[in-house]
Amino acid sequence: MSNSVFSVISRFVEEYRSSTPNKLKMIDAYLLYILLTGVFQFLYCVLVGTFPFNSFLSGFISCVGSFILAVCLRIQINPQNKRDFQTVSPERAFADFLFAHTILHLVVVNFVG
Amino acid sequence: CFYAFVEDLCSLNQCKREQRCVFVTFCPNSCQSIPVSNDTRDLLLATVSEDSTASQIHQSVSALSALGLPLASQEVVSALKARISKEDNVLAIILALLTASRLSQQAELGDILEEIEDLAARLDDLGGVYLQFEEGLEATALFVSAAYSLSDHVDMEPPLKEDQVIQLVNSIFSKKSWDSLSEAFSVASAAASLSNNHFHVPVIVSAQGPAAVSHSHPFLRLQVTDVLCQPLSSASVLAESASAVSSKSAVLSQALFTLRDGVFELNFMASQPASGYYQFSVAIAGDSRFVANHVELKVKVSTRVAINNMDLSVVDKDQSIGPKTTRVEYPTKAKASFMADGHQNFAMTFQLVDETTGVELTPHQTFVRLHNQKTGQEVVFVAEPDSKNLYKFELDTAERKTEFDSISGTYALYLMVGDATLENPILWNVADVVLKFLDEEAPGTIQAKTLYVPKPEIPHLFREPEKKPPTAVSNTFTALVLSPFLLLLILWFKLGANISNFTLSPSTILFHIGHAATLGLMYVYWTHLNMFQTLKYLAIIGSLTFLAGNRMLAQKAKWFPLHFLSFGTRLISQI
Repeated sequence: MSNSVFSVISRFVEEYRSSTPNKLKMIDAYLLYILLTGVFQFLYCVLVGTFPFNSFLSGFISCVGSFILAVCLRIQINPQNKRDFQTVSPERAFADFLFAHTILHLVVVNFVG
Repeated sequence: CFYAFVEDLCSLNQCKREQRCVFVTFCPNSCQSIPVSNDTRDLLLATVSEDSTASQIHQSVSALSALGLPLASQEVVSALKARISKEDNVLAIILALLTASRLSQQAELGDILEEIEDLAARLDDLGGVYLQFEEGLEATALFVSAAYSLSDHVDMEPPLKEDQVIQLVNSIFSKKSWDSLSEAFSVASAAASLSNNHFHVPVIVSAQGPAAVSHSHPFLRLQVTDVLCQPLSSASVLAESASAVSSKSAVLSQALFTLRDGVFELNFMASQPASGYYQFSVAIAGDSRFVANHVELKVKVSTRVAINNMDLSVVDKDQSIGPKTTRVEYPTKAKASFMADGHQNFAMTFQLVDETTGVELTPHQTFVRLHNQKTGQEVVFVAEPDSKNLYKFELDTAERKTEFDSISGTYALYLMVGDATLENPILWNVADVVLKFLDEEAPGTIQAKTLYVPKPEIPHLFREPEKKPPTAVSNTFTALVLSPFLLLLILWFKLGANISNFTLSPSTILFHIGHAATLGLMYVYWTHLNMFQTLKYLAIIGSLTFLAGNRMLAQKAKWFPLHFLSFGTRLISQI
């Protein structure tokens, strides 16, 4: 049983390494970074306490929001999805990404206190 | 009529026209013997026209009729009607009414008479109690006297209903002193016409002294007068019913008052009412003109109270020894003093009865007062009646020690009985009671109860700041949260992040500067600014960045990884 799971995982990793374009890999690295940051924030809250609750919330929401926006960017840039996003060029997707992030950070900085 | 004016009248020709009219207006009819020149008469007659004011017409008509000179009533009527329609204020119409009452009865006064009803409609009803013109008391009083004088003159009842008359009386006689002589005159004139006209005579009923009867004063005395306080001796006063306020049971019905020395009296005590308050309904008959002749009165019946069966006893709490009862008669004091300590209760029972009838009473105030003569302390309790109207008072020394501050000693016991319907309130020193409390609890010094000194200060407790975790823990976690960024840099480097394709064009540089400025603005916002300022700066920086970015997009340089990298630095704000 574990053998088959292991083989599936290794095959997946192999596929990923070979067929994913570099751009997407970079976005995936960024996503991992965001994820870890969010997890560590949550861990702090669970272990130490929620004292400046608004700060915790703003940081956590920032991670979640950034993750979502990055996922959107990844979907829109992926050449395999080109048919679905004919009006949106990668540059446009990136500009949208930046704009949405500006608003997200404005709100986050307001709330972090 | 003052004959001193006669000389003036003879020299009227030199005086001004208005002054002459005023002098003669208020003369009684006997002025007819005064000689008047033709010029004066013509002047007065000429005033009767549409062009003079209503008050001028009134003065000249009154002068003419007082002097006995002939005048054409119909001309006056038409002049008055013209003035009423021109002036149309309350005072003018009142003067027209007064003028019309001086005219001949054959004249057509119907239209002027209708003005009474129109004026009555203009009266303001204040709370259903007062009825008066907005012009004030004087106008209202003059209206009443004018309306009644004209109605008497034409012998037609004025269109004023009974409650309107009552409300007018309330308004006119509401003041006890007046601002001006003319106001006082108007009230006196109204009073005279209300007490002496053919149609409506308001009746004033008031009790002589307080409306109270008792065995020593069994007669209820009422004064029945008109508004000038002249007694109406022809009236017959009947008490239609009298019922007790508390129980609503009728005590009297259809009892006639007898007239004695101008006062109507009724022996109410003959019906043997119990003490309390009674509601009387009185009707005054005798003249069809009487108005407001049904009155409601509240009468108090007082009595004297007697205390029966005052028994004092000391009861043992565990009831092993039977109670010793001592009977005390009012107003003597018990010879022996009573002792009560923690093991005994002191008890008192008594009955309160009406002295004459023996009926049990429950007055409002039945207090038992214990007074410590040495310390000046006093404690007051209430004695309550049980279902059989027997008053009981029990003192449990152990239970009541807080009221006494546990101070042992001899207390004088007083019984206080009082009520509005009692003629003889009682303060009776019944006995002396020696109370013994446990000595340990007595305070060292007797302190007067200080009620009005400043109270102890309440210190304000500021909100405690929340407990923060130790700095080491915070720092550790800060490092932990920032560590994934290093991981990101390593991964990007491994993937071969492309910094080599960095083309230095103005739009690229501008874009990067704008981007960095946005990040800097976020930091400054966190530390110093508020939202409005931030939005202002963001608008400026953002538009520059946007324009530069657009330019860059057009050039389609390979900016992607680098900008993504610079963008990642935004996330340092997640601290």
